Amino acid sequence: MPHDRLRRRLIASALAGPLLARAAAGDWPAIQRAARGQTVWFNAWAGSERINAYLQWAAAEVRERHGVTLRHVKVADTAEAVKRVRAEREAGRLADGSVDMVWINGENFLAMKREQLLFGPFAEALPSYVHVDTAGKPTTRVDFSEPVEGMEAPWGMAQLTFFGDARGVPQPPRSLGALLAFAKQHPGRVTYPRPPDFHGVTFLKQVLLESSADRAPFARPVAPERFAADSAALWSTLEALHPSLWRHGRQFPPNAAAMRQMMADGELLIAFTFNPNEAANEIAAKRLPATVVSWQHAAGTIGNTHFLAIPFNARAKAGAQVVIDFLLSPRAQARKADIAHWGDPTVLAVERLAPAERALFERAPAPGTVAQPAPVLPEPHASWVEAIEREWARRHGQ
Amino acid sequence: MGAPPRAVTGRWRARLWLVPATLFVAPLAAALGWGVADGIDAGAWSRLLADPRFRPALALSLQVGAASTALAAALALALATALHGTRAWGRLVHALPALLAVPHAAFAIGLGLLVMPSGFLARLVAPVAGWSAPPDVATVHDPGGWALVAALVLKEVPFLLWNVAAQWQRVGQAAALERQLQTAAAMGYARRTAWARVLWPQWLPTLAWPLLAVWAYSLAVVDMALVLGPTRPPTLAVLAWQWLLDADPAANRQGAAAALALALAMAGVAAAVALAWRASRPWRASRWTRGDRPAARDAAGRRAAGASAAALVSVYAAVLALLGFVSVAGVWTFPDLAPQRWTGDAWSAVRASASTVGLTAALALASSAAGLALAVAWMETTPARWDARAAPAVFATLLVPGVLLAGGLYRAALQAGVDGRFAGLWLAHTVHVAPYVLVALAPAYRSHDPRYAQTARALGRGAAATLWRVKWPMLLAPLAAAFAVGFAVSVTQYLPTQFVGAGRHATLTTEALTLASGGQRDVAAAFALVQALLPAAVFAAAAWIGRPGRPPGGGR
Repeated sequence: MPHDRLRRRLIASALAGPLLARAAAGDWPAIQRAARGQTVWFNAWAGSERINAYLQWAAAEVRERHGVTLRHVKVADTAEAVKRVRAEREAGRLADGSVDMVWINGENFLAMKREQLLFGPFAEALPSYVHVDTAGKPTTRVDFSEPVEGMEAPWGMAQLTFFGDARGVPQPPRSLGALLAFAKQHPGRVTYPRPPDFHGVTFLKQVLLESSADRAPFARPVAPERFAADSAALWSTLEALHPSLWRHGRQFPPNAAAMRQMMADGELLIAFTFNPNEAANEIAAKRLPATVVSWQHAAGTIGNTHFLAIPFNARAKAGAQVVIDFLLSPRAQARKADIAHWGDPTVLAVERLAPAERALFERAPAPGTVAQPAPVLPEPHASWVEAIEREWARRHGQ
Repeated sequence: MGAPPRAVTGRWRARLWLVPATLFVAPLAAALGWGVADGIDAGAWSRLLADPRFRPALALSLQVGAASTALAAALALALATALHGTRAWGRLVHALPALLAVPHAAFAIGLGLLVMPSGFLARLVAPVAGWSAPPDVATVHDPGGWALVAALVLKEVPFLLWNVAAQWQRVGQAAALERQLQTAAAMGYARRTAWARVLWPQWLPTLAWPLLAVWAYSLAVVDMALVLGPTRPPTLAVLAWQWLLDADPAANRQGAAAALALALAMAGVAAAVALAWRASRPWRASRWTRGDRPAARDAAGRRAAGASAAALVSVYAAVLALLGFVSVAGVWTFPDLAPQRWTGDAWSAVRASASTVGLTAALALASSAAGLALAVAWMETTPARWDARAAPAVFATLLVPGVLLAGGLYRAALQAGVDGRFAGLWLAHTVHVAPYVLVALAPAYRSHDPRYAQTARALGRGAAATLWRVKWPMLLAPLAAAFAVGFAVSVTQYLPTQFVGAGRHATLTTEALTLASGGQRDVAAAFALVQALLPAAVFAAAAWIGRPGRPPGGGR
């Protein structure tokens, strides 16, 4: 029976995964040797020509240093790659898969990890992993409250960051209360992307954390009988906020990119992003005026990490590990953090690096960067996302 | 070539239709089998029906589809009626290839830039109206979906006019048409009455397929609905698309169920309209033949139609010009008419992707050639009355949301081991291209007068020579037009290219859409323009090949 055969092969590959990873831990030179000559098809979101250019630089570097050919498979949505790997397994293709490496986090990681579509654990055995700031940046080991367990390697940091033109927002609202007051003062000039858009849901989570006196319940799975009480502050805050929003809170932009464009056009005064350097990037790309400033709420905003993973059926597992190790190296991370190239915050503990490597990260502040960084608030437990989405759809979604 | 016994030839010929039918239906059936299987899931349907957005989204989709189809048909017929035989018609037909070549998504982006609250029109009005911030009016994403209807109408009117023009361009048609009009005029009927009572009743059945395609497209469209359509709820096609692309398999099944629901609603309404049309025939016949001679101010109608045609072409010109303008606009705050900063970044991104043009063109040429071959083979081997049998297969591709079909095709390609290869891509594109080619070609091909071929055969020409020397040269214009339609369809494919190609074969469209996911307007505008160029070139070539007065048979 094909199904039995498939199941047996799945079990075999699930068993083989950890064995291979342990071999990886012991024998890095062997992995480097195996990687030489391999082609790594890296499925990565390609919505920014600057990110694409950074990956071209990385491709030239790994070819020269390690003899690995890195090819960027441009995707509009990471879910495309997840679906491909899943379909390949359903079709019985347990080796020679089309995806060697994927840029991932959150629900896509959760889906791939739970369905055992990932190769690993491998991440913590990479030589460059020693520099990762696992203590100072705990989200490098917990991805949306799902333990990473070495199944993906941290690549960059994200934190909810607001931005607006200082000419329209001379005193940025650095708390939820101040944002509410600002929206009342400037009716129709503030909004958030429509949930279940990722950024829209993040905004709701920020309001949930910031408006609730007791944050303890959010670290745990949602208790259905307590959901109404635990989330009451979120809904009452939204009731107060919505009448002052763009289109009176009856319409919402589809995503953060649309919100950013509306802010650039002057339709909105405030937009927000998960990349603390996005405004600085856009200023450098001449799409935002240099008078745009970025800020975070003083008491902290939600932050997380994005990662690199290797599917279970990747053809070039060794090559992918070598590429990921390079992307985690201080040199690659410093260039990625540079606003002239990408501006994606590093996952490394810069203060622990050797002085020469630390110097790579030192740069004069660019216009548009966050002046006063705020603490990172951990994401609520993953079960809160669906509960909030459903309740928002019921109250405001139709 | 030795002649085989007649009986054998006859039986062989009678079964010949199996070849194109199988070639066309097999990959499609495999893909649909995989795709639709997901939608037949009780859990998915109960979740779909319980979703509070389902009913309003379905109602919205039907409303948008009905309004845009009816308006596009009315406008196209009115324009064709009023302008037939005028110089304005000739000019309009010349402009059609350019209008058709603008991809739907590109047109929607450009139209949005024109009419949105911070768009160019609002900036023109701002100094007069005293606006310092964009007006708080939903000119796009309006809850009724009228921005989407407007865009669909503007995009579908040229498609319908193109079909009408392709009919009229056929050899001998122009003369026949003129004779009928003259006869009607001699009998005292105004031009408009002659059209309504004599000519359109003959022509409308040949436009049934294009109209059905317009109706199907307006229900299934996702890209335009994302750019211009309502958001709370969006159309059902958008909801299905979001669910089908979700990482969660349960959401995928709900999306497949939504896609099936949409296809059923579409087919149901289309069948009801067809039945009503047939049932009303006696009533129509009695109205048309009662012999009255209503007065019609043909001249005024002509002037209005000429103005409408000019307006249609102007909107396209404005949209394309605005795309060009925005592609170099950096910082551009409302209400300024010109950007504060210009940027060439978008065009450097286009230059960096220039290598994809070759693959895009090769894929489009290969798949539209295959599509054309399949369509011609189908029509050569089957009688016209069999077209109804092909209709479900043809409309399945037009109707079934692209995500579902792409997912099914991808799984079929995985099984066949052609994923990630050019052959797989070619197959996937052909499955999408062939139905459009068939829809575009069938009316002209089916109404080709069989007496030409009979005469050629009677004069001793073989079947092949009859096709090559007589029939196809006479049908050169519709053949070239259908090829161009297929080419344009191939160029705009995103999901099949990404899935079946495993993302490894970048085309202009995959480059454009992956970059557009970053929401950078200058990049989106620049790629939208470039995407329009390739099909425009092919449409122009098709128009040149099929130009009136070109001697049939290539000027020997």
